[in-house]
Amino acid sequence: MSWEMMAVFIGSTIRLAAPLLLSATGELVSQRAGVLNMSLEGMMLTGAFAGALASWYTGNPLIGLLFGTLAALPVALLQAFFSITLKANQIVTGIGINILALGATTLAYREIFGSRSSEAIPGLSKWSPPVLRDIPLWGDQVFDQVWLLYLGGLIILLTALVMHRTALGLALHACGAEPRAVDKSGLSVARLRYLAVLFSGLMAGLAGCFISIGDIHTFTEGMTSGAGYLAIAAIIFGNWKLGRMVLACLLFGAAAALKFFLPAIGIQVPNALLIMLPYVLALIAVAGLIGRQTAPGSLAQPYSRS
Amino acid sequence: MEHSASAMHQSQQHAAKAGQPWLQLESIGKRFGSFQALQDVALQIRPGEIQCLLGENGAGKSTLCNLIFGVHEPTAGQMLLDGGVYQPQGPADAFAQGIAMVHQHFSLVSDLSVVDNLLLGQAHGFLRRGAMADRVARLAEQYGLQLDPHALISTLSVGERQRVEIVKCLMREPRLLVLDEPTAVLLPDEIDALLRVCRRVAAQGCSVLLVTHKLAEIKQVADRVTVLRGGRIVAHSEHPADELDALVQAMIQHAPDSPARPAAAASRSPRLQDEVLQVDGLGVTDVQGVTRLDNFTLVLNRGEIIGVAGVEGNGQSELASVLSGMSSPSRGRFFINGEELSGASPQAVTRAGVGVVPEDRHATGCITDLSLAENIFLNRLHEFQRWGCLDRAAMRAAASELMRRFDVRAASVDSRFGGLSGGNQQKAVLARELTLRNLTCLIASQPTRGLDVGAVQAVYGHIRAARDQGVGVLLISSELDELLTVADRIVVLYRGRIMGSCPAQPDQRARIGAMMAGQTP
Amino acid sequence: MSLSFLQRVPQPLLRPFIPLTAVLIALLFGVALVAATGASVSEALGAFAEGAWGSPYAIAASINRSLVFALVGIGFVLAERARLINVGGEGQIAVGGIAATAVSLYGGVADLPMGLAFILPLLAAALAGGLWGGLPGVLKVKAGTNEVISTLMLSFIGIWLLYWCVQSSALLRQPMSNSGTLPESLEIPSSTMLPFFFGDPSMPLHVGLPAVLVIGPLVALVLGRTLFGMHLRSVGLNQQAAHRAGMPIARTLILAMFIAGALGGLAGGFMLQGEQYSLKAGFSSGFGFDGLVVGLLARGSIAGVFAGALLFGFLRSGGIYMEMVAQVPSALVLVVQGVIILTLAAVTLINRRGEAV
Repeated sequence: MSWEMMAVFIGSTIRLAAPLLLSATGELVSQRAGVLNMSLEGMMLTGAFAGALASWYTGNPLIGLLFGTLAALPVALLQAFFSITLKANQIVTGIGINILALGATTLAYREIFGSRSSEAIPGLSKWSPPVLRDIPLWGDQVFDQVWLLYLGGLIILLTALVMHRTALGLALHACGAEPRAVDKSGLSVARLRYLAVLFSGLMAGLAGCFISIGDIHTFTEGMTSGAGYLAIAAIIFGNWKLGRMVLACLLFGAAAALKFFLPAIGIQVPNALLIMLPYVLALIAVAGLIGRQTAPGSLAQPYSRS
Repeated sequence: MEHSASAMHQSQQHAAKAGQPWLQLESIGKRFGSFQALQDVALQIRPGEIQCLLGENGAGKSTLCNLIFGVHEPTAGQMLLDGGVYQPQGPADAFAQGIAMVHQHFSLVSDLSVVDNLLLGQAHGFLRRGAMADRVARLAEQYGLQLDPHALISTLSVGERQRVEIVKCLMREPRLLVLDEPTAVLLPDEIDALLRVCRRVAAQGCSVLLVTHKLAEIKQVADRVTVLRGGRIVAHSEHPADELDALVQAMIQHAPDSPARPAAAASRSPRLQDEVLQVDGLGVTDVQGVTRLDNFTLVLNRGEIIGVAGVEGNGQSELASVLSGMSSPSRGRFFINGEELSGASPQAVTRAGVGVVPEDRHATGCITDLSLAENIFLNRLHEFQRWGCLDRAAMRAAASELMRRFDVRAASVDSRFGGLSGGNQQKAVLARELTLRNLTCLIASQPTRGLDVGAVQAVYGHIRAARDQGVGVLLISSELDELLTVADRIVVLYRGRIMGSCPAQPDQRARIGAMMAGQTP
Repeated sequence: MSLSFLQRVPQPLLRPFIPLTAVLIALLFGVALVAATGASVSEALGAFAEGAWGSPYAIAASINRSLVFALVGIGFVLAERARLINVGGEGQIAVGGIAATAVSLYGGVADLPMGLAFILPLLAAALAGGLWGGLPGVLKVKAGTNEVISTLMLSFIGIWLLYWCVQSSALLRQPMSNSGTLPESLEIPSSTMLPFFFGDPSMPLHVGLPAVLVIGPLVALVLGRTLFGMHLRSVGLNQQAAHRAGMPIARTLILAMFIAGALGGLAGGFMLQGEQYSLKAGFSSGFGFDGLVVGLLARGSIAGVFAGALLFGFLRSGGIYMEMVAQVPSALVLVVQGVIILTLAAVTLINRRGEAV
């Protein structure tokens, strides 16, 4: 195996992990606050579609990014309204939203793009940090990434800062662990949870845009193909800790990159096994086979005072 | 009991006592639906005093605290604060007026640190954990509250968690600290520590309202004591340490309307000496390592009712849970008719002929969304199986028969169980448990809780009838009158241990009361 | 509450009223969408009707689809009785399909008499689905694992397991004769295919129909009239009280998940042996999630499952035909389904609050 292939592998691992990282970060905040937001897949798909549409229509991928990110918000609002205000079953709501989003984006795509479906869409440009870009081989293969990825890294750091160092992070954390204590301290559980779900919507929108106008430069029906569920699996495997979740996303990204990489170096491993791996790992984790699982205490439980 | 003057034995508090009351409750009443929780209650809080609120369970102590803390609103009377009307709309108002309360149930986030719990809802922007830790350390020194500010709540004992709740209150620099039965969950040395904290808080000028039913604590810290019974103030003492006996009498006095004891039962003694239940050194240690039940040993004979007296939370729930097969004992064993059943499943316990009336009817005793008939036969539905299906006609017929025998009143055997009144629900539970085919023993916990007078009488009747047929009955109740009325013999539980036992005679009341309060006979 | 009038309506009337409202709202929404796309509504609806019930073949295809939804839905309702949510239908269908293919092709059953040739693969499919569904039950009892998460993960694992089976010639992929050999299994022997009900390929209703018509009422009977049904209800309503009453909690939970999984596996067997005849990637094609929705719609009633299954079966068939003829994307059906689920969740909650008051 050459150094070059290694660099290519690492580069594509990061690229494939990026949408997971973005969406899982938002989802983690939402789950930390107690809302199991299963509509992640639907929100990503909506973001991917809206981003592609706006970018294609205006020819400006930045406007696409803005539009795609904002388009996921109403979907997040729907999830929040059902699971926080109506106190509906969060999983059922999520599945409903995912089916709806798949149908709606496919329908709209056929209507709007129609026969022009294979047309390339203006995408986000690539960027690599100074100094790092001068490293031979790595500069091109590893660090030359869509700039949204670097923005995502920044957001993840900011999220970690907010979650661990600020009053807001503390309150969000307490919302998922012991909402009664939050209520008694005078804060609004509902408001905090809405905020968390909306943040997950924003991040899912970014993740969707990364897939459509960042990575592939086009939109195809159902193009997120389960990335939302994969992000949830990464959170479970990462035991609801941000750092471990990031590692889980990179691991899942590597598994996806191996699909292309292993045949290139002459190793035959069934693709299906690599795709399946993240779900198997998440299942093993949730079954308590690797250490104690510490899911937020009130995850997926609506809060009411009485 | 209002004595005029007495020796100035506690000089420090006397200065405070002399102060004018700053919070006054005037003829307060509170009604929940048809239930009168409090009636004509007057209470004064003076600066820097420790006032104890004494009373049995259900006497209205918690309701009174919740009124002061703004959780409920009174339905009669008024509260005055510094001479002005005090009408808190919620805990926030109470806090604003300098009133803080430590509830029986803590509201702490267990996977966060002490400091983070204290910061929750109080901080903005970036967290200043260091500053908060310093503040905790200062408070700890000021009041003698030992606390590691960076420990996770989940690693703390119950006593330490309570200290966090107290610190949470003290950080608001309150004028009144209300503690609702703070010692019920504590170990002896933790209680002493808490009482010392109370002293120091009061010494700083903050009033303390301490809800308790433990006389030892009153003796240790109380400046004044108010006794509640049945929602009314029945006694008040300015010198509690000298008047303990009178306070006990007031707390557990015989209610005039309580049913007379049947003469026949009073003189009866166990006719048959065969033992149905032997309990040998039973002990329960909870997940936190606190001993809830300790070396409980008892022999229950055929045709005998043994009452287990004690203020709630002294090991009764653990005892009933172990004996009914719902949990395993940490130590010791028990036998039904000589067959060891320690740690056996509820099914095995039922099969051995033990009827169980659980303490919490809705959680354990019935399934409210099933029908009356289904609940009556919940533990033996399999008896109605016919060709793989349930013979519902036979079940209904059998249920109607039991409804008639046990006087369960409902529209039909198909009525939803949750729609029945509490009394009828309990009668149905008794109908189920007392008609086990090989019934030899009945474990009944708080069987008349929440029932009206008629239903209470019916429950007593059924328990007595079972005894007369030779069933051994273990009756666990926090109602002393109930035990004196129904039981043949009484053992008293205090902090998980048997304090002593005596015949169930009305003249033993004072002695039992003292044992319930933790005094050795 | 504006819907408080609902409280005065007798419960038996109310039960179907709520899902019907949800479906009606969603269908109207769907029609509005058709109009919005600029297609002719009458043409689209005509195409829809043609595809759904326009010919004996169309009817049979719709009903065969409904059978799959019904089985998954029945399993969902059964597990739901014990407050278990089985989101794993998709994976259970997949492993059912794998088992049915393996036994049909390599189980040596093709020459067995008396219908055993197609019955044994079906039983294998049910067993595989049962194990796939039972595992979350075991995890729930032993480790307290939330069955929603574990069944969902197992769904994806099942889907990709199937993909692996048809990709690898060491497993179920047909022998590679040339580079154009598709990644799918061989066609199963005709003796293992489900016989047509009318013996007529133009009306391809297979024997799954009578089977489901027996299973449905049987499960209704089990739920309503047997000790196991009482155990399911009791464990679902109040586990502690059920435990005190001596009911076997762990066994009930595991068995409930096993049966739900087995019905999903059987559905996979039906799809393979009654319709597709060879295993391909994407075999389960979302039917497991549709079945879940059918189960949700049914609100605990087996009759409701049948109604929902028929609705979704015809919706799917009609939607596909509508796309082919009237150029209205069949994704419309997904939109309608999503709206049904969400409307139902909202309406149910409003009604539940009414009851609580």
